[in-house]
Amino acid sequence: MSEIIRLQGVSKTYDTGKIQVQALKPLDLLVEQGEYVAIMGSSGSGKSTLMNILGCLDRPTEGQYFLAGEDVSKKNDNELSLIRNQKIGFVFQSFNLIPRTSALKNVELPMVYAKVPARKREARARELLEKVGLGQRTDHMPNEISGGQKQRVAIARALANQPPIIFADEPTGNLDSKSSVEIMEIFTKLNREEGNTVVLVTHEPDIAEFADRILTFKDGCVVSDRRKNASAGCGEVEKPC
Amino acid sequence: MLIIENIRLALSAIGINKMRSFLTMLGIIIGISSVIAITAIGSSIQGVVNKQFESVGKGAVILYVNWSMIDGYVPSEASFTMDDLEKFRREFKDELRYADPYVTEVSTVRVGDIEKKMYVYGRDVGYDRMMNMNIIYGRMLNEAEVAGARPRIVLDAPSAVALFGTENAVGGTVELTLEGETKDYTVVGVYKEEETIFTQMNTSENVTGIVPYTLMPMQADNTLYFYTFVDDTLNISEVGTQMANWLVRLKGMPEGYYIYEAAAEQQGAMNEVLSMLSIAIGIIAGISLLVGGIGIMNIMLVSVTERTREIGIRKSLGARTGDILFQFLIESMIVSAMGGLLGTGLGMLIAALGMGAVGVEFSMNPMVVVVAVGFSAIIGMFFGIYPARRAAKMDPIEALRYE
Repeated sequence: MSEIIRLQGVSKTYDTGKIQVQALKPLDLLVEQGEYVAIMGSSGSGKSTLMNILGCLDRPTEGQYFLAGEDVSKKNDNELSLIRNQKIGFVFQSFNLIPRTSALKNVELPMVYAKVPARKREARARELLEKVGLGQRTDHMPNEISGGQKQRVAIARALANQPPIIFADEPTGNLDSKSSVEIMEIFTKLNREEGNTVVLVTHEPDIAEFADRILTFKDGCVVSDRRKNASAGCGEVEKPC
Repeated sequence: MLIIENIRLALSAIGINKMRSFLTMLGIIIGISSVIAITAIGSSIQGVVNKQFESVGKGAVILYVNWSMIDGYVPSEASFTMDDLEKFRREFKDELRYADPYVTEVSTVRVGDIEKKMYVYGRDVGYDRMMNMNIIYGRMLNEAEVAGARPRIVLDAPSAVALFGTENAVGGTVELTLEGETKDYTVVGVYKEEETIFTQMNTSENVTGIVPYTLMPMQADNTLYFYTFVDDTLNISEVGTQMANWLVRLKGMPEGYYIYEAAAEQQGAMNEVLSMLSIAIGIIAGISLLVGGIGIMNIMLVSVTERTREIGIRKSLGARTGDILFQFLIESMIVSAMGGLLGTGLGMLIAALGMGAVGVEFSMNPMVVVVAVGFSAIIGMFFGIYPARRAAKMDPIEALRYE
């Protein structure tokens, strides 16, 4: 397995003018291709900050971030856009579908920015919606479908440009337990069958249990890095903060 | 560039907020429609004016006594004789295409029991060519008829109908009294004037006819006018001045005693007034388009704020700064261009109705539509730059958090 994420001394400090808040303390992290990682922690623990940096929505204040071998910590906005478009699929807690835009068009969106021809785009979007079990809902607007269905559309959209890595920020936060399980099963399937690297943020332990590796955050640093499959040899590692 | 995608997006965004989009366009609609209406009305009026001047004839110049130099009465030595006319014609044979002593009389004409007042004009050979007269029956006066002062007459079509009950009155005879002499005049031709607002207004009972000017010798030998046509490739003002000065010398009168008036100069002055009017309207239109543009900017700013989250989503999915900028620029351009198109339609409707009401043919250059819509799009682009930049520069994290 090759590495897909490598953080070296990555930290994030917010400068609010008078005081500086270190939301993320210097962190080293390695994620291999095909891993299924859950990041846990209470709100304010720094996990969202980490997620933004991992998702190339934000840049670290210090340190280096290598995504698929490429140092992205110093890239400019347009270069980061390209990386988000090609390498990353996002799934958000609040779905973040474009309102008044059909499921199909929502799924097509990343391909629009990737300049995929219209016909190819539509075919691929239909195929993806079929895959997440929404083949019959392609022309529905986001306000016409349930939360679980919205999240399926979001997953289909995240997969549009076949990114190697999926970031999911509290993907089940707005869902009932039944839908939550269904959504998590899709992620598991993507990880097991398609080989996608999946990194998800959650504060629900039972959701985190779907992953193979659980990182726990507290006060801006990782306090625990537990791998469920201990055959790798490390098992649970407690880290002093 | 995602042009088609962005146009589709813009249209759907406009469609979602139909009322708001329409109200946004209103400023542009009003601005463009007023420009279109007024330029259309202006060009129609200009068309009428030009036609009117054409009916006077290209290169028409009238030479006459400068009334401001006259105190009380015109001395007899100041008026022109037929001999003077001949000298004048010889002197300016290169410049002149036509000249007559401008004789006219209102007289009584009889055909059988019918008796009418007739405006009789004494003309020379070739007058019809100068005026581009449309002779529908027979012919114009010929050289022999003018030289021999033969009693021949050319009628205009309505007069032929009034006197003979038919337009084709050629060969008919009218009894006409000119300078006290009553003679039978043979009709040799009938002409038709093109209809203009002035001919339509002329509902009088009176009839019109053209006879050889030589049939009014008393007037022709004692006239204060020369009615001429000058080669219209020449500088009319220069030739007019030369001719007036030459007449001053011929008659031994003080300088400035004779002056000229040229249709072309008046036409120029009229067109100048019209173009000044256009400039004034252009300024007003500019102001209303500015206001319209500001309206577009305002709504685009609202739209950008409303769609902050959408912008965040798009950015997280890989939209670059330029993609977002372009999306909003296209939207404001389309809103504005649609306003321009609607405004053009409305303006043309207003102009057509207005022109229809006064009975003037509506004329407009179709390029105006292209220019109006294009110009509106440019306004939209210009006033869309600021909102679009604001959208494009949004931080994706902030935008995604926006509620």
